[in-house]
Parts: sequence; C-alpha cells; structure tokens
Amino acid sequence: MIWLELAIIQRALVGCLLAGFLTGLIGVFVVRMRLSAIGYSMSHGAFAGAALGVAVSVNPLFTAMSFSAATALLIGPVADKARLHADTVTSIAFPLNMALVFIFLTLSPQIGLSSEVASVLWGSVISMTNNDMVYLTTLCAAALALIHFFWKELFAIMYDRKMAEADGINTKPFVYFIIFLVGLVVTLSLKLVGGLLIFALLFNPASSALQFLHDMKKIVIVSPAIGSVTCVSGLMLSLVLDLPIGSCIVLVSTFIFALSVLLSPKRKRKEVKQ
Amino acid sequence: MEPIIRLESVSTIYEGERRPAIRDVNLTLDQNELVYVVGPNAAGKTTLLETINGLLPIFKGRVLVFGLDMQTRGKDVRREIGYVPQDFMVEPGEPYAALDVVLMGRYGKIGVLRRPDKEDLEKATEAMRLMDVDDLANRPMGKLSGGQQQKVMIARALAKEPRILLLDEPFSNLDPDSRERIPTLISRVHEERKMTTIIVTHDIHQMLSLCSRVVVMNSGRIVADENPEKALAILERASGSRPWEVAP
Repeated sequence: MIWLELAIIQRALVGCLLAGFLTGLIGVFVVRMRLSAIGYSMSHGAFAGAALGVAVSVNPLFTAMSFSAATALLIGPVADKARLHADTVTSIAFPLNMALVFIFLTLSPQIGLSSEVASVLWGSVISMTNNDMVYLTTLCAAALALIHFFWKELFAIMYDRKMAEADGINTKPFVYFIIFLVGLVVTLSLKLVGGLLIFALLFNPASSALQFLHDMKKIVIVSPAIGSVTCVSGLMLSLVLDLPIGSCIVLVSTFIFALSVLLSPKRKRKEVKQ
Repeated sequence: MEPIIRLESVSTIYEGERRPAIRDVNLTLDQNELVYVVGPNAAGKTTLLETINGLLPIFKGRVLVFGLDMQTRGKDVRREIGYVPQDFMVEPGEPYAALDVVLMGRYGKIGVLRRPDKEDLEKATEAMRLMDVDDLANRPMGKLSGGQQQKVMIARALAKEPRILLLDEPFSNLDPDSRERIPTLISRVHEERKMTTIIVTHDIHQMLSLCSRVVVMNSGRIVADENPEKALAILERASGSRPWEVAP
C-alpha cells in the first residue's frame, strides 16, 4: 500500500516537474507575443474537450487534444483567413468553450463530481499515469528541439512581430506553431492542474521571470525553472493540506509573482546621487 | 531599365475603415534615387512606406519592387529592404540588448535554421559604429533614450545591407548634433551602396539638398512630385510652412 502511494506521488512529482517546465517555457512566448487571450482560450478549449471525454466515456486526453487543435485552428489560420482579429475570435471561443464544458458535464449526471470530473476541473495527483509521463517527456524534448532550431525567428517575433515581418521573416508559421504548442502543453498538463486553473501556469512563471531579468535568453531558462518549482511546491502544499493540487499550484505561482513584483529591480526607482 | 520601385494606381485601405489611407498612387523610383516624402499628419506617408514594403494588403493596383509583385513575393523582397518605422519605442523593462536588435536586421537574409555567424556580427557592429551607438551594444533597449533607440533602429536597417532603405521620420528623436550628422551619413551610405532611399519627414528643409526628388502627399494622394529646386519654389510660395496646400 505504501509502495502504491509512493509510486503515485513519484509520478505526480515527475509530472509536476515536466508540466511546470513546459508551461513555464511556452509561457514566455505567450506573454511576449501577447497571446495571453489565446492561451486563456486554448486552456478552456482543452477543458471543454476533456469534459466531453468524461461525458461520453472516451479518454479525455484525446478529446481535449481534438478540442485544442480545433481551437488553435480557429484562432490561428481560420481567423487570419476570415480576417478576424484574434481578440474577436478568442472572445467568442472562450465563453463557447465554457458553455460546452457545463453542457457536457450536465448531460452526464451519472458521473457527477467523480474523481475523473474533479481531475478535469481542478487537477488531481492520482490522475497521472505512466503514459502521461511518456507524453510529457516527449513533448518536452520536441518543444526544446523546435525552439532551439527556430530560436532566431521566435526571438525576433517576440521583440516586434511587424519588424520581424519587415526583415523578411515569415512570421505566421511561427505564431501558429506557438499556438499549437500551447494547445498540446495545456492538454497534457490538464489532468494535473485542472482546466479551470491551467492558464495561470502559462502566465505567472514567465511574468515573474520578466520582473527580474534583462536578457531574453536567461528568461527562457529561468521561467521553466520557476514553473517546475511552482508545480512541485504546489504538489507538496496539496499533500500537506489535503487541498486540490491545481488550486495549490495557482496559490504558489501567484505568491511567487507577487514576491517578484515586490522585489523587482526593474521597478525600483533610481537613487539620485548627491 | 526596370525601375526599382513601381506603384501603379495603388489604393490601400485599413481594415474597418471606409476611406483608403492612400488612393490611386502612381510612383516610380530608379536605382540610387533618394526621395523625400512630405505632407501633413494623416497624409498617408507611413501607409505609403508600409505599402511599398508589402506590410499592408493593397485594395487596388499593383506594387512592384525589383519587378516582383509585393503581394505575392513580399517575404522574399523584404530581405533587401531596410525599414525604420515611426513607432519604435520600447517599454523600459524590455529584455533585449541593443546588439540583439541590430542583429535581427540580418535574420531574414540569414534564412531559417541558420544562426548568425561572425560576419553577421561584424556587419551589426559596424552599423552600430556608424550610428555611434557601438558602446551601447550590451545595454537593454528599454534603458536607452528615444534618440539612442532611433539610432539603434537605423543601425538595424543598415546592418541588413539593403538595396532599398525606407525611413519613417528617422530623425525625430535625435539630439541637435545627431540631426546634423546622421542625415549626411545616411546620404553617404546611400551613395556608397547605390541604394534606393525614401525618407518620410515633417521637416522639409532638413537634407533637402541631399535628395533627388520630393514627393508631396495630402489626403492619401500624391499632390506633387518634383526635384528639390521646384520643391523649394513650392515651399517659398507656401511661405515655407505648408507646401501641400499650394502644390499644383
């Protein structure tokens, strides 16, 4: 029994490290490319998909993935083709996805607030499986490799997308790539953190790192580290206080952000030398 | 010989707007021409530059640069165009060093999956030296003054070694000394590299002797396209302040 519990906690710990790393990494691009609304909408798209999976007893991972991909398509290429502003599409997609979440959960009253539903809503330590570990590790490796190869283009787009375009960089594929990556990261981290709170992990670590550092390359290293520390600390807090893991992770990440704002050297007024 | 830039009855309309920002614009620029574009606010000067650069979709007409249609080949052609926008100011906490920003000018030329090499770094450093901002290479952009940021943006455009240079109010934030020095320097680089250069400005007197033509815009249209002497005559008739109102 003790071994079983230990295995669950080990999986949750590794899951937290990986999910925190991924959300912290991808969050830098979301924040710097001003895709916050998109991240918000994507997380709720994945949430709606997972709710559908729970309602029709299909693996929520696959339905969440499908909804994420559909939302990414809607926000990226479809919005561009229809010449709709991303803000307009995200403003429509967000309440639509939330409405679908409630409909899917209402249509399956026999499930009620089972552990599966609870894990989709606010995350669960026991929900992580070995397969989830493999998916997260693979995604980590793929994301790192792709960011390494396309760093130059992403670096320029994060500075100023219009200027990157003016310099001859085709920015659209790279922005779509980040949107799809957000969808994948959110989907695979959903079980651990929950659909209601996952977006906090996309913004808080990156925003905290931005309070301290003047070098984007360092920010891309520090933000995933903050993400991992946040998730592991949230897990510990959840185990000690017996509270939902997603809520604990968000509390920790908000605390870290508040602390970084308070201590930020960028915000300190320069002392006037006498 | 094929002109470097050719606009044929071009109209550009911003999304959600009913009136085109520029309308029925015809303009031809040959190699090594240095052209001034002047006009009041909302005359369409910035839109003209962004239309030539292919950053705005056109509503009507055709923009050809090096004989290539910018609507379909813009991404390739932009690698040969150095552009300094009017709005370039960054927030104080911006986590980018000045050298990083200048080096970005070469990214399009370098191509996907390749990293900047020693030569790229040398070109970027040389452009910074030319603009007298090489000592600011490692400083964060957000910590530079407006004038220093403007010089960094000009260095970014020059580091690209472009065949076309499009500058939108490039001297607006410079200190008086730099206002004297930089226009002459740009004119020299323009001559040395045989570039085709368009400079949008409010200050018509500055560098007028260095340009080959002056294009006057008003309400989205080109109302005059003259050599500097005739432009000066128009200036004099307009008491030197609002030439677009008396342009033929």
